[in-house]
Amino acid sequence: MNDRNALWGDLLRRGNAGDGAAYARFLTAALPVLRNIARARLAGGTAEEVEDVVQEALLAIHAKRHTWRDTDPVTPWLYAIARYKCADAARRRRARGGGAASEVPIEDLAEVLPDEALGETTAARDLGQLLGRIDARAAGIVRAVGIEGESAGEVGARLGMSEGAVRVAYHRAMQRLKLLAEETTTEPGADPGRQELAGQEAETATGRRR
Amino acid sequence: MKTEDLISSLAAEPAANPASGVETRLPGLLVLGLMVTALSFTLVLGPRPDLASALANPMVLAKTLLPLLLAALALPLVLRDARPGARYGLPGALIWAVPLAVAGLVVLAFLTVDPADRLRLFIGHSIPVCLPAITLLSLPMLAGLLMALRRGAPVNPARCGALAGLVSAGLATAIYSTFCVEDSPLFYGIWYSAGIGIATGLGALAGRRLLKW
Repeated sequence: MNDRNALWGDLLRRGNAGDGAAYARFLTAALPVLRNIARARLAGGTAEEVEDVVQEALLAIHAKRHTWRDTDPVTPWLYAIARYKCADAARRRRARGGGAASEVPIEDLAEVLPDEALGETTAARDLGQLLGRIDARAAGIVRAVGIEGESAGEVGARLGMSEGAVRVAYHRAMQRLKLLAEETTTEPGADPGRQELAGQEAETATGRRR
Repeated sequence: MKTEDLISSLAAEPAANPASGVETRLPGLLVLGLMVTALSFTLVLGPRPDLASALANPMVLAKTLLPLLLAALALPLVLRDARPGARYGLPGALIWAVPLAVAGLVVLAFLTVDPADRLRLFIGHSIPVCLPAITLLSLPMLAGLLMALRRGAPVNPARCGALAGLVSAGLATAIYSTFCVEDSPLFYGIWYSAGIGIATGLGALAGRRLLKW
């Protein structure tokens, strides 16, 4: 444990000082622990849900990396962030109606599923609405990367951003869209089945992660 | 996006800016809030005329010093609370001395004053000024603290907001106490505490909304 604190602390200290390779090693070393925490806290969560939370935790660690004082042990800091993000995700899942238990096998939906073509236009329209609710630059990146299939490098060259920055912006925009889609589905009066479906299709349409 | 790709993208971003932390922003914003509070206090209430002689009485001095001590001890706590995994340490234990001392003063006053005077001293004449004044005077500092704390990462945003409320209410109460002429702990021990409680509750509500990340 102390070895881990010393090693990870050293990596993050160098990472915060600008050593990208050390920073990547720190995040990679923390990854299995983050996955364990996420799995434990999201009991019954699908592998995909767990990985989503792990990615959210990584983004949070990245955004808040300046809140670690390099004289403090790094693991309590890291675990506290992971637990915070997991609690957040678990709360959202409960609000949505119980996570895995609420996922209905597709056969049972065959009767109520809308016409394929209609479904697609609904998804496209909903996605358009959601994209209208995030900032224009991020929406542009989602359209280019997720819908038109441009590579992050191409988009970056066009917008004057690094490839990495485009990937991060894309990822953040996708997280934001996912939250917006969840909000939409939990709004009172919304038809949950239909909206959820549209939200899922929207996600597929923009290139599902992992 | 694959998690491994996300990691390499994050690693390719520029290094963290050490000047972006709570500690660098908080002092300036707190002082700014304090100046707004002090100015409002001077314009609307102002210190009592006999302040210098009144402060010679330890019971009067205590009503200014105890809230000041509360703010001084809550300040390191709010900074620590904004950092994931940090412990409260010594100030977290010492801060309990303040409510204990207040309770002690209230009991002492209760036992030493003439029983016929107890209710009169407790009710006083300025509750409708005291409670709103403490609450309102703490708001500018609370706003400054919350603004700075948004750079932090409190894993319990409501608790962090409450601690910020405690800091600003402590300072606001110390300032207000130089106006207030109710010098019995039966009054200030109860009603100042109630005002501080209101401001702390407001801090918790604001923190829950504003300090989420």
